Amino acid sequence: MTYQNAQPHGIKPFKPLPRLFGRGALALVIGAYTVYTLGPFLWLATMSVRNTGEISADHYAWPSPFRWEQFRVAWVDSAFDTYFWNSAIVVVTAVAVVTLVGAAAAHALARYRFRGNRIIYGILFSSIIFPPQITLISLYQILVDYNLYNSLTGLTLVYISLQLPLTVYLLEGFFARIPQDLFDAAKMDGYGDIEIFRRIVLPIGMPAIATTLILNFIQLWNEFLFAVVLISDPEKRTLPIGIRAFMGDHFQDIGMIAAGVMISVIPVIIAYAFFSEKLIRGMTAGAVK
Amino acid sequence: MAVVQLDSICKRYGGVGPVAVDNVNITIADGEFMVLLGPSGCGKSTTLRMIAGLEDISSGTLSIDGRVVNDVPAKDRDIAMVFQSYALYPHMSVADNLAFGLKRRRVPTADIDRRVKEAAQILGLSQLLDRKPHALSGGQRQRVALGRAMVREPMVFLFDEPLSNLDAALRVNTRNELIRQHHRLASTMIYVTHDQVEAMTMGTRICVMNGGKVAQVGAPLDVYWQPADTFVARFLGSPPMNLFTLPVASNGAEIGGGPVLGPLSRWREATLAKLAGQEAILGVRAEDLHLSREAAGAAGGTIRGRVFAVEPLGAETLVAVETDGGVECTARLPRDVAARVDEVIDLHFAASATYLFDKASGKAIPADGETHRPHAPRGALQ
Ligand SMILES: Nc1ncnc2c1ncn2[C@@H]1O[C@H](COP(=O)(O)OP(=O)(O)O)[C@@H](O)[C@H]1O
Ligand SMILES: [Mg+2]
Repeated sequence: MTYQNAQPHGIKPFKPLPRLFGRGALALVIGAYTVYTLGPFLWLATMSVRNTGEISADHYAWPSPFRWEQFRVAWVDSAFDTYFWNSAIVVVTAVAVVTLVGAAAAHALARYRFRGNRIIYGILFSSIIFPPQITLISLYQILVDYNLYNSLTGLTLVYISLQLPLTVYLLEGFFARIPQDLFDAAKMDGYGDIEIFRRIVLPIGMPAIATTLILNFIQLWNEFLFAVVLISDPEKRTLPIGIRAFMGDHFQDIGMIAAGVMISVIPVIIAYAFFSEKLIRGMTAGAVK
Repeated sequence: MAVVQLDSICKRYGGVGPVAVDNVNITIADGEFMVLLGPSGCGKSTTLRMIAGLEDISSGTLSIDGRVVNDVPAKDRDIAMVFQSYALYPHMSVADNLAFGLKRRRVPTADIDRRVKEAAQILGLSQLLDRKPHALSGGQRQRVALGRAMVREPMVFLFDEPLSNLDAALRVNTRNELIRQHHRLASTMIYVTHDQVEAMTMGTRICVMNGGKVAQVGAPLDVYWQPADTFVARFLGSPPMNLFTLPVASNGAEIGGGPVLGPLSRWREATLAKLAGQEAILGVRAEDLHLSREAAGAAGGTIRGRVFAVEPLGAETLVAVETDGGVECTARLPRDVAARVDEVIDLHFAASATYLFDKASGKAIPADGETHRPHAPRGALQ
């Protein structure tokens, strides 16, 4: 901190808040927030390995015994495996396409001057500020017209279109800050446009790409509204609709519902753990040095 | 090994708008170290980037070894460039940065290895090959940038102000290193800078640019001693050449009178006859001004003015005076000079140290006979 050095000699440095108090307050806020977000999750986790009888006896007790078989029951007996794989296929495909196409589009918008560049950017931006629900009815009609209603392909396409604008917007902001000299240097080193994208933009943009990747993954993994409107066949349900149906079937069985929800949350946790370091770097990356 | 020829090269950004580079004609000989020198915004980088192939050429022809390359993309020109920002790939190690250009050109792996090791050794980077650029000092980054160009063994090297991000001591070292590499490689090098010291010390020739145009091309000392116009006269030299707009005497023997008087014995009568009675610009370099009349010789000129600043630099002292007419003038005097602020002093200069420029165009009016080149410049450059 240069703060104290900046004070002229002889004048006592003015301290807005004693350092210790500031730290303590910060820790308190973070602690409260952690309890607020982590508490319900841990509660749910404990309930997922207890049966409903135990839960009604004492809502908050530590599980004993741990009834791991609830996960197996939820997975096998309630078609969770189908929901899970449907979700996995739709979300992974959509996220992959969104990431690749989004990164390429963002690079083009950030780096190339062409007629209509800013118009495209403006359209993308405006599609972010409108709530996606307003497209629901027309999307339904379009999917029916193209025979894509009630199909995973249709849902995947919808998911791609939902997440693409924000992805392009976020990546464009990051890519635009990559110094032009790097591109010029790569050109002088003999590389063409596509190779520069692959060997310079993608690796340098990795923190930002990881950020959008995980945001898109979480968003789509939990997506309910479009899935419930555009999918009717039980065989084609994704996890969020599956859990909804499961809650209907097991209305009384809190323990089973908790196990089902835990199953759906696990991939998000894994994805987050896998990318979190890059995610944090992406969020804190001020500029590319 | 290459001759680079710029023939009537012009550049307008976006096809319209102001001219960034205006009708530039230069031929850079094989193995030459050509410095493009000029103030910021004069079009040096634009010129260099057109040679590199990073900017389109609006009009004119660019040829390398006789082949017109206007439409050859940068990647196929076999030119390497060192950027002011170094432009090291942040996600690659030093070794990968060095090898990146060679890999694209399908140089055999063993060859790449050898060349990278060799360049690293020459530039003292051998211990750093596994580091990422962010873990290097400014000077080390600079050397990696240089090495990346060297390993390519290109036809032409381009440098865009490569030393401007280094501190003073490192800049001198690296300058010498670059001169040594130029001797070793004997390649054609084109070097952009706004620093006259770099230009004077490194260039085989320098090309002074102003407002997108070439003001003068020549060997450094030729340009220094025979500036083509007032712009070059002031841009080369620190402090800049002193200029006074004054009337030429009707007999043409001298210029000015009163506080500033300059002898015109360097010019032939025929030249002066045309100027007699009209105004012209008298130029004298700061290092040609002396306190004693003897040092300037008998038929010298004089500037009388009131001292308003004394700047001791250690090795010498800069004394700034203001004449009666309100014109400022700086003299580079010995370090033990006894000048005080507000004192009125006379500064003397030799007839041979006089320059004359046309008032309207600023162009030099060449002296007839002996060219002014009295002695090695005494501390002419810092
Ligand atoms: N990409 C650009 N678009 C528009 N004008 C530019 C661009 N780059 C440079 N210029 C203009 O061209 C002129 C020359 O710039 P430049 O070649 O960078 O000068 P230098 O390198 O001598 O400082 C300047 O007036 C500058 O504003
Ligand atoms: Mg420049």
